[in-house]
Amino acid sequence: MNKVKPGIYRLGILILIVLAILTGVEYAVALTIDSTVILFLIAMLKGALVLYYFMHIASLWSEEGGH
Amino acid sequence: MSAVAAVTAAAESYVEKTRRNRLGLWLFFLSEVFMFGGLLAARFYLWRDADGGIVRPELDQQLGLIVTSVLLVSSYFMNRAETAIAHDDRGNFLTGLLVTAFLGIVFLLGVIIFEWGGHIKPSDGVFGAVLFGMTGMHAIHVLTGVIFILIVWYNGRKGHYSAERHWGVEACAIYWHYVDLVWIFFYPALYLIGPAVHG
Repeated sequence: MNKVKPGIYRLGILILIVLAILTGVEYAVALTIDSTVILFLIAMLKGALVLYYFMHIASLWSEEGGH
Repeated sequence: MSAVAAVTAAAESYVEKTRRNRLGLWLFFLSEVFMFGGLLAARFYLWRDADGGIVRPELDQQLGLIVTSVLLVSSYFMNRAETAIAHDDRGNFLTGLLVTAFLGIVFLLGVIIFEWGGHIKPSDGVFGAVLFGMTGMHAIHVLTGVIFILIVWYNGRKGHYSAERHWGVEACAIYWHYVDLVWIFFYPALYLIGPAVHG
């Protein structure tokens, strides 16, 4: 059985924490200032994080087969 | 052709095939963007008050936050499963898939039991039609995602994937994150943007 390198899941945890914080901020913005523009910008930022780190969109242009 | 050359050619062919598959999957997502984008546009066009201001139906905001959090956490476990198979960590791979499927079912139940069982019905004018159109179309994608995950889990148990060859896992993961991505935009559109009016 091969040994799994420590820390391979760290990036995923970090992205989850950032997404959770942004979701909390989104909720707070809706309850307080209720700005459509800010809510849309937060959604765009969350979407960009998911696209880049979870969906590996950059791998579409990479020469390697892996992600 | 020597044995080494044959293995190298097979690996290159797999890499090339994966690259084409990936492009095909992303083109499929692009086509879906038009459908989900249309639903989102309908929400902002139709959910207006008499003065033209953006409004939303009165939905349970806490429920929205809970189901959104569940889907976000499920995305993390999907990413964990994909990372695990890329590093030949089969235990975390299979566990990650099961946790993701479970959280997907929790999300579905949250929407079906609590949101669809609420005071707004599909026949309640533009509020009901758009709400059920958006959540219904998204829920179908969550359901197919859960089925996809369970198929990958079943294949994974039989040892079908390896660190070098796991396109099936990658496709499943990207699909699941796409479902999450759609909800990232649906969540504020349904639950947060605009003042709530009695629908």
